[in-house]
Amino acid sequence: MPVVQLKCNLCIPERNKHTIVVDEDKSTLPKCNAPTVPGDLTERGCAYAGARGVVGGPVVDVIQMVHAPVGCAYYTWGSRRHLGDGYNWAMPGVLENEANHRRHCYCTDMQEKDVVFGGMDKLKKALLDAFEINKGAKGAFIYTTCTTALIGDDVGLVAKEVSKEVGKPVFACSAPGFCGVSQSKGHHEFNFQFYKWLMKLREEHPEVCLKEEDKTPYDINLIGEYNIDWDLLPVKPLFEKIGIRVLTAFTGNAYLDDLLRLPDAKLNVVHCQRSATYIAELIKQGFDVPYSRVSFFGIQQTAKALRETAAFFGDEAMMKKAEEVIQEELDAVTPALDWYRERLKGKKLAIYVGGPRVWHWIKAMEDLGMEVVACLTTFGHTDDYQKIVERVKPGTLVIDNPNEFEIEEMIEKTQPDLFLTGLKEKYLVRKFGVATLNSHSYECGPYSGFRGLVNFARDIYQAVAAPVWKIAQEEF
Amino acid sequence: MRKIGIYGKGGIGKSTTTQNLTAALAHFYDKNVMIHGCDPKADATRIILGGMGQATVLDVLREEGEENVTLDKVVKTGFGGIRCVESGGPEPGVGCAGRGVITAINLMEELGGYPDELDFLFFDVLGDVVCGGFAMPVREGKAEEIYVVASGEMMALYAANNICKGMAKYAQRTGVRIGGIICNSRKVDKEQDIIEEFCEKLGTQMIMFIPRDNIVQKAEFNKQTVVEFDPEHEQAQAYKELARRIMENDNFVIPKPLSMPELEELVVKYGIV
Repeated sequence: MPVVQLKCNLCIPERNKHTIVVDEDKSTLPKCNAPTVPGDLTERGCAYAGARGVVGGPVVDVIQMVHAPVGCAYYTWGSRRHLGDGYNWAMPGVLENEANHRRHCYCTDMQEKDVVFGGMDKLKKALLDAFEINKGAKGAFIYTTCTTALIGDDVGLVAKEVSKEVGKPVFACSAPGFCGVSQSKGHHEFNFQFYKWLMKLREEHPEVCLKEEDKTPYDINLIGEYNIDWDLLPVKPLFEKIGIRVLTAFTGNAYLDDLLRLPDAKLNVVHCQRSATYIAELIKQGFDVPYSRVSFFGIQQTAKALRETAAFFGDEAMMKKAEEVIQEELDAVTPALDWYRERLKGKKLAIYVGGPRVWHWIKAMEDLGMEVVACLTTFGHTDDYQKIVERVKPGTLVIDNPNEFEIEEMIEKTQPDLFLTGLKEKYLVRKFGVATLNSHSYECGPYSGFRGLVNFARDIYQAVAAPVWKIAQEEF
Repeated sequence: MRKIGIYGKGGIGKSTTTQNLTAALAHFYDKNVMIHGCDPKADATRIILGGMGQATVLDVLREEGEENVTLDKVVKTGFGGIRCVESGGPEPGVGCAGRGVITAINLMEELGGYPDELDFLFFDVLGDVVCGGFAMPVREGKAEEIYVVASGEMMALYAANNICKGMAKYAQRTGVRIGGIICNSRKVDKEQDIIEEFCEKLGTQMIMFIPRDNIVQKAEFNKQTVVEFDPEHEQAQAYKELARRIMENDNFVIPKPLSMPELEELVVKYGIV
């Protein structure tokens, strides 16, 4: 029986379809991407959070304007460090602010009177003010929210007006919180709307496109790579070493001018395949630019990504170079990884992040000799769960959109040594004597690529081997 | 205090009827009356106040802030001692007029703007607001009886029927009841017959047939109600009669709105289409 009856779900049987144990023939998938059941205290975010927090937020040189009551701008400043290499608002001694990614948030702070009378004028003024005090900003992204979408503020029109006035591109993203079941819908909306806007902009201003003479046969984009804790650092040079030019990432450490050239690449390499395959697919349809699906986590997967990308270009020298680079990296990381593998081998772990990183990390943890006993995602879709179920052993517990009670029961049932999860869950889980790692923004990244895996292994080792767990056992 | 909501299709004469009715209540029956206009256009108290431009609740809220909204600023007294307040609201096409209705009524209640000594409190509500703001005046503790202004014209009947659908829904939960339909004549053929049959099907009454007379427009031109302009005129007497019937009304029902085929049938029967 693949569906598991958790004790906490006896009174909410609708949840049973979301909790499964992987069966021998791996034929069952949990129900997913479905509305939250009343009574289930979900940990999901909203569509707006997906649009701004994940996809639009990392762009480093645009004004990030949240058109909302001020609460929607919570969780912006001071969250997720190292988003880009522009100046940071928090850097000592820097007076000018050139970093305008999601950590530097603007909000229209809609009040009752603005809701009644409409917030378009306020939004326009806010944007003009923001451009005035941030002369370095290359454009602006506006995010509508539940309130402003409901009252029908024509944000697209304001974007056009402001763009005309300041002579910089302004993109309006309409992904109000209620438009989907989770943040995943916000990723989707941002991708589609941004592409549509980009097409129009490129048509009206062909000068923003990459000039023919500046193109190389080896231009790629890294789609769905958000530079979490500088994840780009161990990855981008690998491509550069084998002669590939990375035009931009969508959207980690991305600059607007580069983003406008997304369709000018020869290949899109998609990392987060939940939040960004959409735009790769749109570019494929519109510009005949193919895309490949890769993972940059763990040595097996990073090596595969590099080999496949080189093979795509069909250049013998490049493929040879790729092998050399892989060997070089392996030589560099193997001693350290061996040391950690020796100590982590056979440890059991559970993984709970947004979506694709769960199945990316199943493979990465194999590299460390660890065994995955439970997989949970906040907003995974069927294709994510297919990959998860394919990659784990029968008997692994899989929970879609888990709540706190389910997590608690998962810990009791599967007894992991480590839980890769977020900050919300860590206090609960640590009380069970189980180590956790901040897997959304990392403890001390980057975790990607060959060299990132050493950081990942170090953080895991430090978490698992901390003496506190032994002391806790003795005390209680 | 009787709290009454007046609903109806836009342009049907809700505000004109309400103001003449309240003027009649005050002038002929010496009642203590208040009107709260819930239309963003803020034109529901104009001829009681003699055309006086009035600061609306939402204007003051917007310009001076919520804490500076006081009854002195927003409540004005006009003909017959009738207290008048206007919600105000956004221009068409922006913001949220429905939220404006909610905000303004909440604020008035917080300020104690509907004193106990009133005999009648009227909410003049545009029937075109179809969101939650539409229902604000009929929420618990606010308007308890509703009169719908209609004419024999097809679209007015559709609108009246639609308003009754909303009322039927709210009636189950808030105790709001329909007191009747006020027919504000447009001189349509067999107008009285069609409205009477419509009312019968709804399960309510046509509380008054108000004939059409240019004196109403003439009085409005002079920024007055007919009751003030020419109290002896038969049109003023009609409003007096409406006032009496409303004072004495005890026919309060949950309406049974008509289905579209029923409504069409009615319209065809009287040969309006």
